[in-house]
Amino acid sequence: MGNKKKKKTQLPFRLNILFILVFALFSLLILQLGVVQILNGEEAQEKIDRTTDTTSKNSVPRGKMYDRFGRVILDNEPVRSIIYTPPKGGDSAEKRLDIAEKLATYITLGEDSEDRQNMIRERDKKEYWYLLNTEEVQGRLSAQELEELSTAEQYQAMLDKITAEDLAQIEWTDELYNELAIKKELDKAYELSPHIIKNENVTEEEYAKVSEHLSELPGIDATINWDRDFVNGNTFANFIGKVTTSDQGVPADQAPYYNSLGYSRNDRVGTSGLEEQYESVLRGRKEQVRFTTDQQGNVVGSEVVVEGQRGNDLELTIDMELQQAVDQIVQEELKTTIEKHPEQNKYMKDALVAMMNPQTGEVLALSGISYDQETEEFSDQSFRVVYDAHRPGSTVKGASVLAGLDSDVISEGERMDDECIRIASSAPKCSWQYLGVVDDIDALKRSSNVYMFHIAMRLGEATYRPNERLVGYNSDKFQTFRNYYSQFGLGVETGVDLPFESTGYKGSIDINAAGKQMDFSIGQFDTYTTLQLAQYVSTIANDGYRVRPRLVNKVREPSLSNDQLGPVVEAYNTDVLNRITMEQDYIERVQEGFRRVMQESRGTAASYFNDAPYNPAGKTGTAENGIYEDGELIEETVNLSLVGYAPFDNPEVVFAVIVPNLGEIESGRHPVNHMIGRRILDKYFELKEERASAGVDDDLPEEETAEELELDMQTEQEQQQAEEQQMDILD
Amino acid sequence: MSTNKPNSNMRIDYSLIFILLLLGIVSCFAIYTVQFQPSVPSTYDASGLVIKQIMWYIAGSMLVVLIMLMDYDRFRQISWILYGFGIVTLLMIFFNFPAPIIHEANNARSWFIIPGTSTTIQPAEFMKIFLTVILAHIIVSHNEKFKTRTNQTDLWLLAKLLGLSFPPMGLIAVQPDLGGFLVLAAIVACMILVSGIRWRILFAITATVTIIAGVIVFFYINYPDATRDVLYNVGFKHVESRFLGWLYPETYGDSGYQLTRAIMAIGSGQLTGKGYADIQVYIPERHTDMIFSVIAEQYGFFGASFVVTLFFLLIYRLIHIGLQSNDPFGSFMIAGFIGMFTFQTFQNIGMSIQLLPITGLPLPFISYGGSSTLTYLIAIGIVLNIHYRTKEYMFD
Repeated sequence: MGNKKKKKTQLPFRLNILFILVFALFSLLILQLGVVQILNGEEAQEKIDRTTDTTSKNSVPRGKMYDRFGRVILDNEPVRSIIYTPPKGGDSAEKRLDIAEKLATYITLGEDSEDRQNMIRERDKKEYWYLLNTEEVQGRLSAQELEELSTAEQYQAMLDKITAEDLAQIEWTDELYNELAIKKELDKAYELSPHIIKNENVTEEEYAKVSEHLSELPGIDATINWDRDFVNGNTFANFIGKVTTSDQGVPADQAPYYNSLGYSRNDRVGTSGLEEQYESVLRGRKEQVRFTTDQQGNVVGSEVVVEGQRGNDLELTIDMELQQAVDQIVQEELKTTIEKHPEQNKYMKDALVAMMNPQTGEVLALSGISYDQETEEFSDQSFRVVYDAHRPGSTVKGASVLAGLDSDVISEGERMDDECIRIASSAPKCSWQYLGVVDDIDALKRSSNVYMFHIAMRLGEATYRPNERLVGYNSDKFQTFRNYYSQFGLGVETGVDLPFESTGYKGSIDINAAGKQMDFSIGQFDTYTTLQLAQYVSTIANDGYRVRPRLVNKVREPSLSNDQLGPVVEAYNTDVLNRITMEQDYIERVQEGFRRVMQESRGTAASYFNDAPYNPAGKTGTAENGIYEDGELIEETVNLSLVGYAPFDNPEVVFAVIVPNLGEIESGRHPVNHMIGRRILDKYFELKEERASAGVDDDLPEEETAEELELDMQTEQEQQQAEEQQMDILD
Repeated sequence: MSTNKPNSNMRIDYSLIFILLLLGIVSCFAIYTVQFQPSVPSTYDASGLVIKQIMWYIAGSMLVVLIMLMDYDRFRQISWILYGFGIVTLLMIFFNFPAPIIHEANNARSWFIIPGTSTTIQPAEFMKIFLTVILAHIIVSHNEKFKTRTNQTDLWLLAKLLGLSFPPMGLIAVQPDLGGFLVLAAIVACMILVSGIRWRILFAITATVTIIAGVIVFFYINYPDATRDVLYNVGFKHVESRFLGWLYPETYGDSGYQLTRAIMAIGSGQLTGKGYADIQVYIPERHTDMIFSVIAEQYGFFGASFVVTLFFLLIYRLIHIGLQSNDPFGSFMIAGFIGMFTFQTFQNIGMSIQLLPITGLPLPFISYGGSSTLTYLIAIGIVLNIHYRTKEYMFD
């Protein structure tokens, strides 16, 4: 019994010790609970109540564009879109999958099932499988991988371990592809920043369904977005320019620049034409909303910090009616030319036209029609007016004569024999035909090359004796000659308000500079854009004042009503870049020469213009050109050009036409440059007359506005709801 | 004069059953209200889980009745069979055989899965009972055999106890299931304490463990890199991150995340709590390991203390029954269960109030879970059985 008794007393004793231990541990728990809940409880509550403010920016529609008479040429088209704004801290992958699953029952991404299948890559499938079988995949990681790899590496390793058999477990239906495509879009969104899930071809049904079920789709919203609507189709579209989609966002290479201006990465920006040039005007002011979120990421409040405002509108200098007519004329003439001599004109592609007001610099029309020899189709490539430079031929002789007069190498009315220039061991350089003895004015009227050659040689300080070598030529003077040309805008930027313009190609004068200077004087050397030529002739027409061509007249605030323009924010005035150094007398001589070209018999363009009632002046040009392939001349071609203005006394319109690379045809060539020049001037004055009597034809195209669209949708929804209620009653 | 026949009316411990009933109600309530926390996953089906939990309780109660029907002394006879069964199941998990019924989650292979269902069984839970039973049997047999205690017999007993404990502990540790391992360690420690092994040996063991731990800490603090190299080889990285997350929850956001959320939730409950359904903090896996925070946030210090007190009363009842029992086998088993309940309760609540590092352990009777609830109810069934068959000697 002794042993037993000993045990009996020992066991309860030990159990009591155990009890004391348990008591001590539980006391510790209660003590710590007191510390956590009573001592530090308030602090914990404060931590929960602490909120964070985040500002989110909502984009606004860009500004519209109007032509000079207030007719809409670029509008905003409302587009229904489904957007997703993740909460602070973002939704978990499971949550996004959940949203995608629900959303997939209301909307469909992509055009057809094949399209949807293409959207989903292997990795997307694996990520989906991972979400469904997270635990299993995690178990596939070895202990070593768990220890050594970072979380991201582990994730990648887990995806790698998902096999084709795993994926085959899932039935990849079209519905599932749709769901995954939606999830992919959801994955792209950043916290509190709206991301577009679908904005192309959102049907009314989809829009209504999503709107109805917003409460079960956290973060999803159905709203109206905007697309650019080119009211006149392709006309002038090159110069209006392009805007990125919200998927493209700001151009990656310029992201820091745009960020510094407050853009977010999915903002739409202009990337060409006026959209780019006037980005700061057109973008508008984004609506800024400040969201207050608590520690849990719940939005507890929102406040509009900055009211959004649609971008300002641009009122262009373009006369859209004239522009359309010019495009039409250019295309018709191009077509006629090609059809008349299809074989000879096989290298002919483009016809380019610029029209502007010489006194103000307002550009009235810019037209470039291109013909594709292979597809036999015409397309609007008006950008070539400022991008492509060509040899203009004799159209630039006005500048040569003025350079000669200004530098005193010729005197007013100086007469010269049109005998070919014959320099020893060089080919003779002649006019297009022997013109006899001509003075400076007639040299322009009849387009004497020889007269210009003499100016060029004298400017170059060279002494010319027939059949001898040229002596004393100073090649430094080539630059002097070019400087004279620059005063007219030839070879320098015109200053047009576009993000890019070419200044043309300046040939090298290392070899035979004297000969090249002579070529230069007749437009056979350097190349110029159509717009440069227009500025050149406008400078002459405008008594020597070179004005900056511009496409925008005014910036206007968005108007409240649709048929009224908003108040003017900024108006652009005539911008005189420089006054040429030549005396007014000299300029008038050149002007007179230009008048005779078009109005006096034997003027090079007289046969096309002498019956024009609007008193035109101008200068023709034909430049020899060549088509080269791999550095070898394969075909001799000519560029036909024409510059002009009207009326002679008080010029209100100037134009430049270049038609490059026509075939060399002895006779019977379609006078495309003249025909275009004549017809566009006729059109200009015809429109002017019409407007004087009947006013501007401002037949605005009818467009459904966003408000109307939204109203439509609301009433539709209301109707639907009413119907549902009725159904309820019937039930 | 007492009779050997148990008087069923008198011997059922109603206070223990009442405590369990209260714990069950708290459990269902807590699981139900988890849905009120913010951004709860849409997959969380509160009512469904509550119904399942109630079913587990009913199934467990039926097991309790079954256990009550037979004399707990029978367990002694089948203790080796139970132990062997437990070891075999753990080995099956270890060798991943047969693979179709083995389930893996959160990087640990700890479960059987009934094919075609999502019902999983965690053999480590049942092993807690089996180990307790076999250890109690061993101690009783040993003490009966060696009436006189010497250092030699004590060490021999210790060797037997540890020898039986290490295989299941090792198999659970490699799953890896640190929590399960520690629970078994707590059970073994308690049973060694009450086994009668003399104090000098117990002190010696305690001192050795303390010194080894102290040396590791010393080296870790003074030569962190070299120590880490050695310790990482035995899978210490996991443990280290738990400790760092515990000591510096704000710095080690990754492993300290659950703790900071739990402290925020429990702390903000303050003295009286926020009230029914008012839960402001989201904590992942809240219906299992973090269930205590649900009560503490809604009912504050009062509610939390109430739950702690319930557990204390439960363990007090266990100790009381253990003291009452005049059969050492019963008392030893109860000591093991005390170790199990005390450790799990203390660890689970302690980790959510920064008293201990985070370890994946459910709160007995409260956390949602089938295997664990069944295990604890089996333990309670055995305790009730012990109480039921305790003979009262009037003159003892």
